[in-house]
Amino acid sequence: MAELVGVFASSHAPLIIRGWKDVSPDNQRDLTRSLSELGRRIKAARPDVLIEIAPDHWVNFFINNLPSICVGMGEMHEGPTEPWMKDCPYKKITGHPELANHILQTAIEFDFEPSVSHHLTLDHGFCIPLWRGGLDPLPRIVPIIFNDLEPPYPSVRRCMQWGTMLAEAVRTYPEDIRVAILATGGLSHSIGEPTMGEVDEPFDRECIRHFEKGDERPLIDFLNERLPTVGNGAAEIRNWVAAHGAAGKSGFELIAYCNCPEVYVGCGFASWNLGISV
Amino acid sequence: MRDYWLSKLFFDLQSSAPLGEEYRGNPSKILDSYPLKPEVRAAVERADVAFLAQRVNPYLLRFYFLVVGMSEAEFLRKMRTAGADAAVRSSHG
Repeated sequence: MAELVGVFASSHAPLIIRGWKDVSPDNQRDLTRSLSELGRRIKAARPDVLIEIAPDHWVNFFINNLPSICVGMGEMHEGPTEPWMKDCPYKKITGHPELANHILQTAIEFDFEPSVSHHLTLDHGFCIPLWRGGLDPLPRIVPIIFNDLEPPYPSVRRCMQWGTMLAEAVRTYPEDIRVAILATGGLSHSIGEPTMGEVDEPFDRECIRHFEKGDERPLIDFLNERLPTVGNGAAEIRNWVAAHGAAGKSGFELIAYCNCPEVYVGCGFASWNLGISV
Repeated sequence: MRDYWLSKLFFDLQSSAPLGEEYRGNPSKILDSYPLKPEVRAAVERADVAFLAQRVNPYLLRFYFLVVGMSEAEFLRKMRTAGADAAVRSSHG
């Protein structure tokens, strides 16, 4: 049977790539160190497959057809197409259709009706943490897109349940493979809004405390109340919630938090201790 | 509410570098191929960030002004002015 060997979360601020030269040396050092540590932990877990949960930044979907949750079951995914991601080494990214299909079937049993794509493009949201975390070669990737960009978003509660489902899907997958989960996005930030560039560090710190306490309902209540007030980009914390659900809502460990105004994002990096030796 | 064709214009421009280049050279030609409402087209032509922000996803808005070459500082200034104006309107009921 498959084994869940790691659960991780990471911010994916585009300006880590597009505006790197404008980031102060101290913040460059902190971000580089944080992403390297994230990558080290993912590599130490030795996943055969990495399930990645990230938003789609208007690369695969548009408002004529906008899934709430989409599972990518392609044999191959396209690498990022943003011009400023041209140096990213991942041009083609190998998928795992069998595990993706098992996730879809398990999701149906859990009363989810996810969308499916047999050919996705994985934008910077998927690729920056992998690239800057030094994952080369990559494990096979099963991408899962959450709509964190355009309301209505999936509810925080359902994202938590999706994570629980995901852990069950891994646990019941009949092949002996090692599977990890990486959720990307958040924490507080605002894109294309009057508050663009503002980071709400007290919110981010409180959010992190809820994860550290292993909260479920208090975390959901906190996010339902506060997410609408801390920038549209914070909607991506839903992806962290799914990771928290997959980890059984316990074991959260903050790798680093960098309030880095040059990249407009309260950048968080974390892993969940699953109580297994890797 | 979203304006579909405005959103589609911004989506297409950020999806295709050649289209973005063509748009920068001759915006009218590209705008002619989208059935934009006259007031929406006029807002695009005068780069009215506040007007457009009410009709399109914020990420697409940001992408659009990157594509047309507006500086980040200018975009932020216009966004913040738009936000302050909206707050004033809101406080006046």
